[in-house]
Amino acid sequence: MFVIVVGCGKIGYQLSRALLAADHEVVILERDSQRAARAAEELGSVVISSDGTEPTVLTEAGASRSQLLIATTGQDATNLVACQVAKRTFHVPQTIAVVTDPDHVELFKRLGVDVTISTTELILSHIEEEMPGGPLVHLLSMQGAANGIVSVRVPAGSPAVGRPIAEVALPAGTALAAVVAKNGEIKALGTGLVLEQDDDVVAITPPDKEALLWRALTGGT
Amino acid sequence: MPRTVMILGCGRVGAMVAKALAAEGDNVIVLDRDADNFLRLAEGPNLQMLVADGTSSEELRRCGIERVDAFISLTAQDTVNALAAQTAQLSFGVAAVVCRINDPTRRIMYEELGLRTVSPPQVMTDLVLNALGK
Repeated sequence: MFVIVVGCGKIGYQLSRALLAADHEVVILERDSQRAARAAEELGSVVISSDGTEPTVLTEAGASRSQLLIATTGQDATNLVACQVAKRTFHVPQTIAVVTDPDHVELFKRLGVDVTISTTELILSHIEEEMPGGPLVHLLSMQGAANGIVSVRVPAGSPAVGRPIAEVALPAGTALAAVVAKNGEIKALGTGLVLEQDDDVVAITPPDKEALLWRALTGGT
Repeated sequence: MPRTVMILGCGRVGAMVAKALAAEGDNVIVLDRDADNFLRLAEGPNLQMLVADGTSSEELRRCGIERVDAFISLTAQDTVNALAAQTAQLSFGVAAVVCRINDPTRRIMYEELGLRTVSPPQVMTDLVLNALGK
């Protein structure tokens, strides 16, 4: 699938990484040139340093042949306009907007955005209070897709801490998309990866494997 | 009968529109995120200035959008104007909504979506061509 991601902050970056890892074609539009340059170092030449709400920029990015646009900036207004321009001017079949103001969930749907993801509501509804230390946060669940993207923070005392990743019993059918250390460093995925306390593990998983994944990473029951 | 008009954005354009409408006797409420921009205006009996984020439905409601006859978004940012104007039109059912959109392609799109738009580059172009006798 050819996906355009608008905004390369934390959400846009991790999402793009996961999509690229799953062999999707991705173009990322990031207005801030420094942030774009940093992302390009990690992700390669898929980052364009431009404003994703500008029709000329979307033309250059190939919006008219893209199947999905995901607007992930921290500004709801930017995300709305990016989706509306994609939908109306470029006929992108599916648009997804991240919103921070819960009032915008309904409004954006009425304005033609296919899927809205309210970060505030997600965090409120999905952080499981009873889970000690490392809650499982749903970053993204796509309509009609079998897998979701989740994030788990590795707590102190987890059996996964200090062990090579090969020895951590991750459930079959799940895959690590990224591991981010507490200091923000992105760890290389591979057999040499060792998890540490407070690492954020971003993984792709079907919903019925979430509990197993969480247990493997936190040691909780 | 005087109307109540809410204007988002107290830049040069927003301030001039506010003054003109207030001089005609309308009740004008001007919103801006930055109180410094209100230095362009003087408070009057029918001119009110409120610091608010026009992209938040909650703040628009707090500023009284449910009681206005018209809403005009005139900030320098197309994205902010588009969100605020569509909120006024759809969420609050404001009868008359006017939205500043600088980018010409986006302007056409929002016209098609049913917004009344004004585009400063378009207005300037028309005036320049007119001044040249075209």
